[in-house]
Amino acid sequence: MSAAPVFAAVGHPNKGKSSVVATLSQNDAIAIALEPGTTRHRQTYPLTVDGDTLYTLVDTPGFQRPRRVLAWLEAHSLTASDRAETVAAFVTQHRGHDDFHDECELLAPVLEGAGIIYVVDGSVPYSAENEAEMTILRWTGQPSLALINSIGPDDYSDTWQAALGQFFQVVRRFDAVRAPFDQHLSLLKAFGQLEPRWEQPLERAVQHLQEQRLRRSEQASGLIATALEDMMLWQEQRILTATQATDQSKDALVNSLRERWYLHQRQREQSLRLTIEHLYQHNRIQRQEAELTWHSDHDLFSENSRQVWGVSRTYLTTAGFGAGALGGVGIDALTFGASFGTGALIGGLIGAAGSYFYGDRLTLSALKIGPLRDGLQTASFGPVQDSQFGYIVLGRAIDHWWHISRRNHAGRELLDLAPTESHWLEQLDRDSRNTLQRFFDKCRKNNNLDDEIRQRLRHAIEAAFAAYDDWRLNSA
Amino acid sequence: MPKDLLTLLLDFDDQVRKDQAQPAAFLHRRDRKFALACQAEGQRPSPRAWLRYVNAVTARPSPTRRNDARLTFWHRCTVGFAAVGAMLGVITMVGLLFYDGTNQINITVMLAFAALQLLLALLTSVQALMGWQPWGLLMERISSRLGYSPATGSALHSLQPQLMARAAHTGGLAFGITGVLTLIVLVVVQDLAFGWSTTLNTSPEAFHRFIRFIALPWQDLWPTASPSLDLVADSRFFRITEGSVETAPARWGEWWPFIVMTWLCYLVLPRLLLLAFANGHLGARARRQLARHPGLAALQYRMETPALDTGNAYSDAKDQPDLATTAAVHPVPSACVIIRWAHAGADTAPWSHSETHPEPALNLTAGGSASLVDDRQTLRRAGLQLSSDPRKAVLVVTRAWEPPTGELADFLAEARQSWPQGVRLALLPASVDPTGQPPQHQLSQWLRFAERQQDPLIYVCSAHAPAAPGHCDATGHTAGEVQ
Repeated sequence: MSAAPVFAAVGHPNKGKSSVVATLSQNDAIAIALEPGTTRHRQTYPLTVDGDTLYTLVDTPGFQRPRRVLAWLEAHSLTASDRAETVAAFVTQHRGHDDFHDECELLAPVLEGAGIIYVVDGSVPYSAENEAEMTILRWTGQPSLALINSIGPDDYSDTWQAALGQFFQVVRRFDAVRAPFDQHLSLLKAFGQLEPRWEQPLERAVQHLQEQRLRRSEQASGLIATALEDMMLWQEQRILTATQATDQSKDALVNSLRERWYLHQRQREQSLRLTIEHLYQHNRIQRQEAELTWHSDHDLFSENSRQVWGVSRTYLTTAGFGAGALGGVGIDALTFGASFGTGALIGGLIGAAGSYFYGDRLTLSALKIGPLRDGLQTASFGPVQDSQFGYIVLGRAIDHWWHISRRNHAGRELLDLAPTESHWLEQLDRDSRNTLQRFFDKCRKNNNLDDEIRQRLRHAIEAAFAAYDDWRLNSA
Repeated sequence: MPKDLLTLLLDFDDQVRKDQAQPAAFLHRRDRKFALACQAEGQRPSPRAWLRYVNAVTARPSPTRRNDARLTFWHRCTVGFAAVGAMLGVITMVGLLFYDGTNQINITVMLAFAALQLLLALLTSVQALMGWQPWGLLMERISSRLGYSPATGSALHSLQPQLMARAAHTGGLAFGITGVLTLIVLVVVQDLAFGWSTTLNTSPEAFHRFIRFIALPWQDLWPTASPSLDLVADSRFFRITEGSVETAPARWGEWWPFIVMTWLCYLVLPRLLLLAFANGHLGARARRQLARHPGLAALQYRMETPALDTGNAYSDAKDQPDLATTAAVHPVPSACVIIRWAHAGADTAPWSHSETHPEPALNLTAGGSASLVDDRQTLRRAGLQLSSDPRKAVLVVTRAWEPPTGELADFLAEARQSWPQGVRLALLPASVDPTGQPPQHQLSQWLRFAERQQDPLIYVCSAHAPAAPGHCDATGHTAGEVQ
């Protein structure tokens, strides 16, 4: 088996080499700073499948003295045929030399057979001083590709494209921070086309990455489903002595339990977010939630959240009708259709009425005080009687998932989960809407949830992912 | 073997709980490696094999059925049921066979008792089959009072109905066995008189048909244990005995084989069968629970899915460069030479000339596409100008957006060596927009570059800097106008 291809990201300092590598290796722990010389040593990032390396990315320091290197090379080369050897000789000669430390680090992997990924910043004007770098790279004779990364808001990529085309086989534009996942795969395929023997491992890598993406989506829906069930069914309990039960006013008890209930729900939502982030290999995201800003407009229980993520009563009633009708169909089945759909109709009407009635009950979540036993009483708060709460949790979770699944690992900015303007659930297919409503109704009644409804819920959430994605794309 | 399955289920459940604290990537690698090893050896990756693999180095031998601490409560529960059942079997039989010579022992009562026992045995099994546990809370309390860890949340919790049925059937079996043994002992050591009696207007023929129906299972095997019509007719007794037919005393004792067989067939045997069924049911439930364990689905997923490592293990995010600088932005000096590094600011002058700032005498270029020879030529011409010009300052215009490189540092070092002493070298980072000023993050990298040169006469200047230079804080913001 031939050795896996290696690709070295090289270029001028501070042009986004590390960003490109961070995004392609899905590593948000690579140091990226607007300071030249942040990368001082080459670092390898192999992509492995079951221990087999399919390709390796190498992040390298930027050129510091390209004109001096080129001058040395020109002084020591006789003909075009000895250029690669001359570059190798330069590295051998200057290894350990402080002035050429960065050049030796970046040229070494190329001389060992790595493909060249020359990274430039397309948001700043083209500069002829890059030509010495490009010439040195051409001297190595290795397959090469130029990548126009855009760090700033301006766009000079056309000029860059024209200039780079004279030095490199392939020139691609790639925004390391904002490029969608499809472009990552497309770029990897382009790497594979630099050399025929690299094509197959890169194709395999792309296939594995695509499958991983699909699996992550499935896993995310499972995680959200579990969290939704936990949060909808959560009951805050407190054991009271007989004295405590008589001394404490009911209002104070409700307030205390409600606060603890709220806190638990917030913590559960937080843990879901962390799990989703880790699933997508984002381990260092900074979110507003990490700070003590719970009572902001973005809070789980704020009126703002309710307005943004809650659904209308019409929606609730329609979904409730659908969910109830599903149950009523059972009656029709028992009568072999002799009831002419009356069961479905009655079930639907009951479901619609229940959803309408319970659709606005967040503030009226029940406090229950159990009987006195052995001098102790149990006071409990929850589960929530409001389907809206489920829609809020679901909406926020899917919004967070959407941002995380599309976030590149080169991104270092604060994750801003800005509220949306209108409701996206209206675009969800009817079956999924009914499944969601049926699930929320079962939770409200504290009914046992079986594996079938859990499975259906996961599918409904996956459908919601797709609906949300469409809605985002269409509203963008 | 239900016990082995139970232990397997509990071991698996324990391991899944432990795994919750492990990173997902590690679990994936570990389990995928196991699956690949199984594939290479042509083995099926079963949960048992997986547990052996996971605990290959650290695990002790699996606990045997008697010393598995997780099952101690149920083991003791079963033993307790058996002891109580055995004791009650003796007491009950002694009570049922109490004979003081005044009245016969009523076969009807014994049959009713056996029927009740059979009904209870069936109910126990139905309860286990349906998964009911009305006594669940009581068992929880007892187990917690005895200091056992609660079953709630563990894999054992949902198997409680089956475990309870097994314990109850064991107790019932012990009850039946000691009962029949007590019966035999009493038959041997006492003269017991059996008869049948009922308030209902039943003829001996009808009662005989009923008895023959009960004795069907053993009537060919042991005919003596199947009472004849004569015995039935002769052994009927009434509470008020006036006018009754005289029966030979030996006839009263001929019922005992029937009683023994009834007890064995309708009490001991059903309990034995139901105990075997309870064991099988427990095993089946444990197997089903293992098959439906969420941890198993996750394990299968990890085993089937290739472990894809994108190279995200390396982390140097904490090794960020120190961005703090004490360097300040100075006003543009009155310079005699201007050097445009890589043709920076070639379009327009990034400062305005005035009487205090007359136009430089020389306008040179270096760096960029120029050769090193050109750079040296520039240095030489500037040196000549400096030696004759009273303005001992050189302005080096750079592109603010391009990071300062080693080549510029080399150029400045060479200039310092070849030019007269005391010459100020002012770096002027020019913005992309000729009329604007560079953004702060671009200016900051030049300030840090100037600071790294460790030469007080090399500094950064800006046309927008105040007359008295401001100081940069750690983020590069100047106290003056520069933003």
